Amino acid sequence: MTIQELMERANMKESGLALAWLKDAFHLLQSNSTEDLKTVKYNIIDGERDYLIPQDMIALNNISVKDTSDDKYKRIRRLTVQPITSEDTDPE
Amino acid sequence: MSYKTEATWFYYLKGRSIELYQRSDYGRTDTLGSYKIRLPDDSSGTYFIYPDEDITDGLRIEYTSLDTPFVSEALEDMQIFTDGSDISFSGNQISGVGTSDGFASGDKIRIIGSKSNDGDYTTTSAGSTTLDDSTTTFTTETAGESITVYQIPKTVTTSSADESSHVNLNRMLSLACVDYLKAMLADRDGDIERKEYYMREFWGKVGDNESNKRKISMSLPASPYAMR
Repeated sequence: MTIQELMERANMKESGLALAWLKDAFHLLQSNSTEDLKTVKYNIIDGERDYLIPQDMIALNNISVKDTSDDKYKRIRRLTVQPITSEDTDPE
Repeated sequence: MSYKTEATWFYYLKGRSIELYQRSDYGRTDTLGSYKIRLPDDSSGTYFIYPDEDITDGLRIEYTSLDTPFVSEALEDMQIFTDGSDISFSGNQISGVGTSDGFASGDKIRIIGSKSNDGDYTTTSAGSTTLDDSTTTFTTETAGESITVYQIPKTVTTSSADESSHVNLNRMLSLACVDYLKAMLADRDGDIERKEYYMREFWGKVGDNESNKRKISMSLPASPYAMR
């Protein structure tokens, strides 16, 4: 269904505003359901604890770590409490 | 070598960062050759350690984003796919799939099942049984593998989206978007009651769309610590 058709059904004439609101609707849907998932992969580095969450993320679906013994990504669980070290200047 | 990562790795969310931890049940360890060894100078016990090895592409994050709100073709018009063991790759060309299967030049396609050419590509020309992507050099592969090629949505950047573009949603959710537009128009007019009505219609259609996917039987994998 084209944006033109959506605008006609809503009796709307301003296409710029329609595009902005449709983007808002898409944002709302992506925030509340998993309509269109995206995947990124980062290298895990020995001794490195912190990894950036993708800047374009709306909602996190899951995090996996590669099991190199059978080459599969397996979902890992979230800690609800942070371990006590807040900064480590000598991680090795 | 990482193993049983579903049981031995954990993450903690901290602002814009993910903190990764490994659970160690064997005290402090090191890697000698390809063997994990427990260091003798440390007491055993269970505690968290930082990742203790390099893993290429080891961390996989799945999430929703605002990356592709608009596409060039309606999702319901993209039921084009072909599969078989007669698909081969050489140079810039995929053979065994083409316009006779419904594909066209400019289509975005996804390949799965090949030995070394799985991925997303955009075709630059199409013959009756061939597809070309002049920007890619495929790894040469003869026919034999069971390969599936299907069309996926081609993104339209937000700046170039216009009335002829489509929202990257199926028809039901596109109809929900009509209600969202009506709700926003009502909001602009200051008619809150009408806005609330259309927002209820919007969420109703979103709910219908979700339940449409769940009218089938499901089986769930048991978690690692489930009672057996």
